[in-house]
Amino acid sequence: MDELLGPDGQPRPAAAELLRMLSSLKPDALDERQRAAEAEILTMGITFTVYSDGEDIDRAWPFDVVPRIIDGAEWDSVSAGLAQRLRALNLFIDDIYNDRRIIADGVFPEDLLNDSVNLRDQCRDMRPPNGVWAHISGSDLVRHADGDLYVLEDNLRVPSGVSYMLENRAVAKRTFPGLFERQSIRPVDSYTDELNRLLRAVAPDGVTDPQIAVLTPGVFNSAYFEHSFLAQRMGAELVEGIDLTVGDDGRVYMRTIDGLERVDVIYRRVDDLFLDPEVFRPDSLIGVPGLMRAWREGHVTIVNAPGAGVADDKVVYAWVPDIIRYYLAEEPIIANVPTWRCMYDDERRHVLDNLRELVVKPANESGGYGILIGDRATDEQLAASREAIEADPRNWVAQPILDLSTVPTVIDGTLAPRHVDLRPFILTRGIGPGESYVTPGGLTRVALPEGSLVVNSSQGGGSKDTWIVDLPEGAR
Amino acid sequence: MALLARVAERLYWGARYCERAEDTARVIRAFNDQFVDFPVSAGMRWEPLAAITGTPAQVPADATDLGEMAVLHSLIADQTNPSSIASSVEAARENLRTTREVVPREAWAAVNQLARFARAESSHAVGRPGRDWFLGRIIEISRRLDGVLESTMSRDAAYRMWRIGRLVERADMTTRVLGVRAASILDTEGDRHRLEELQWMGVLRSVSALQMYQRAVRGPIEAERVLRFLMLHEPFPRSVRSCVSDLRNEIGHLSARAELIGLLDALDSALSECDPDVMDGAAIDAAMDTLQLALGDLHRGIINEFAS
Repeated sequence: MDELLGPDGQPRPAAAELLRMLSSLKPDALDERQRAAEAEILTMGITFTVYSDGEDIDRAWPFDVVPRIIDGAEWDSVSAGLAQRLRALNLFIDDIYNDRRIIADGVFPEDLLNDSVNLRDQCRDMRPPNGVWAHISGSDLVRHADGDLYVLEDNLRVPSGVSYMLENRAVAKRTFPGLFERQSIRPVDSYTDELNRLLRAVAPDGVTDPQIAVLTPGVFNSAYFEHSFLAQRMGAELVEGIDLTVGDDGRVYMRTIDGLERVDVIYRRVDDLFLDPEVFRPDSLIGVPGLMRAWREGHVTIVNAPGAGVADDKVVYAWVPDIIRYYLAEEPIIANVPTWRCMYDDERRHVLDNLRELVVKPANESGGYGILIGDRATDEQLAASREAIEADPRNWVAQPILDLSTVPTVIDGTLAPRHVDLRPFILTRGIGPGESYVTPGGLTRVALPEGSLVVNSSQGGGSKDTWIVDLPEGAR
Repeated sequence: MALLARVAERLYWGARYCERAEDTARVIRAFNDQFVDFPVSAGMRWEPLAAITGTPAQVPADATDLGEMAVLHSLIADQTNPSSIASSVEAARENLRTTREVVPREAWAAVNQLARFARAESSHAVGRPGRDWFLGRIIEISRRLDGVLESTMSRDAAYRMWRIGRLVERADMTTRVLGVRAASILDTEGDRHRLEELQWMGVLRSVSALQMYQRAVRGPIEAERVLRFLMLHEPFPRSVRSCVSDLRNEIGHLSARAELIGLLDALDSALSECDPDVMDGAAIDAAMDTLQLALGDLHRGIINEFAS
């Protein structure tokens, strides 16, 4: 199905204004706006970095001017569902590292934890401020042919993309100023303020005016632009591991031109395993020796907390509906995509018997690598996937091939449907109701080749602005 | 507002590279202007231009002159020459790309534009037709960048580091112009001497000083006065004295830096020893060497003090 057009080819109500405007444009005008937007992105230096040994690894951010539009009434429910989901996931993480009630109560099988690559023993018995572990998350949503939005996966470690959501809006406002004036499109710009508020709220006890730092792996990281953008928008320091040191007093300091200054909250964009060479990978050059000690002693808050990734394991994903019911005694507001776990013999058999009809995913990879889409794979790819599943069943899950929805996209100067997903960002500063913030919309990613379902920008995907449109009474 | 030592160093280098690109553009522009004015018989050559910017003149063994295109390629577009405009601009962009969180967004957009412009146009600027336009744009965008900072950036430590980088590089360039150009004019004998006034105008233009010189001096263009103006005339912002005095001011805004103040004192006393009335070419050359060494000491002092 298409996000903007109904089955009859007529505009959906929330997209009517946009489509009316697009159809009134002269033949070349759409392409002109597309090129103007791209020129602006180049001028503003909005880039992402691609790992490559060639030159020019800092690439312009790919943006399509035609937005994806969601009706405000639908979004209210999605937004409530995401906040609910993250409250439950945070309770789950806290429980796993402490009492493990959910296991004692027989709701979650303990053996799943035994070989989870994201479970960190170093986090046992920790109680981070406000009980929050996954403060910032990006959950990927897709719309299936049945018209419903499903959560495809949760990213609880270092989700990226929010800066592009904000930049996309800035460009879109200049591309279609009239549309923003004429209708009610929810603004997204307060995200960095909300993030700042969150980071301040989780400062260590007794710190009233915390020094906040964004920890980046460095200038060659694919998301460096975003790290820099967020630091800039919050007035926080952007630090690399070499800028930080843990003092004899166990506190974290940064090296400034006037000597060492205390750091209270670290929004880290470095993976757990690289955070502290004393505890995790000893060869990490981007980490800070002693950082985990400082965190455990409560001298510094690390956001997201180390070990939070235990809940974004694609195998744990399959239990999220149960997790929501268990901790909140509520029914999940947004559905999971049905997921088969290859660790169980019967589910694995189903997967191996139906490989051609399934999407097979590694449980703990990001960036779209290692994904097999059954109906598009060659016989060799299917055989390789089968072998990989049998060799390490726990590392694989499978889901039905979703018929991702499409949005009209500018291709060679004219509009053609392309598949999209959506990554909203959820901020959780406490586990009570009303302590969450969900971005209105999020980052819409679009697979640019015809028929493709791979939306990752590292693999040729593009992006769109996402409009949550509130229609006047009676217009729906 | 705290400033990370690593960020301080990058800002300093960003400013130096930006100033280097801009000053190189000014020098080439002035030299170019003068070259076309001179009769062929004057035998003006392009190599001194390479010498000013510190580009090692790689003269082929069998050549008598490096040649216009070779020198200009090296100064403008050559990415293997770290002092070329193309390289300097790229380095300035990379340093600002990695300090974007402390400078106004508009300033980043300006340096990004500078780099994109240089990437697209530098190879077309080696030949005469596009050269002056290109150099003018480089100067313009570099000035716009400082205009953004001047009008929208708080006078915090990050701003001071930027200013310090600009001033060190600017002082360095003025001493280079004097060291190479002034020394060679003063040492020139014979009939080329009749072109001396034009030569000195070229020197002044190299640091965009001609008009201000004329307003301040109100007399003919004479060697001693030009030297005095470019070294010691404090009101002119590209004179060595002015750069040193501005550096003193900028460094003074950062918390106590006794060692750096000592290095600035050394620069000032080296300047005070320069008496243009009694200097010949060799003396100028030696004096500029002394100043450049003192600037080198200051540079190392700044890196030690702030960046480690």
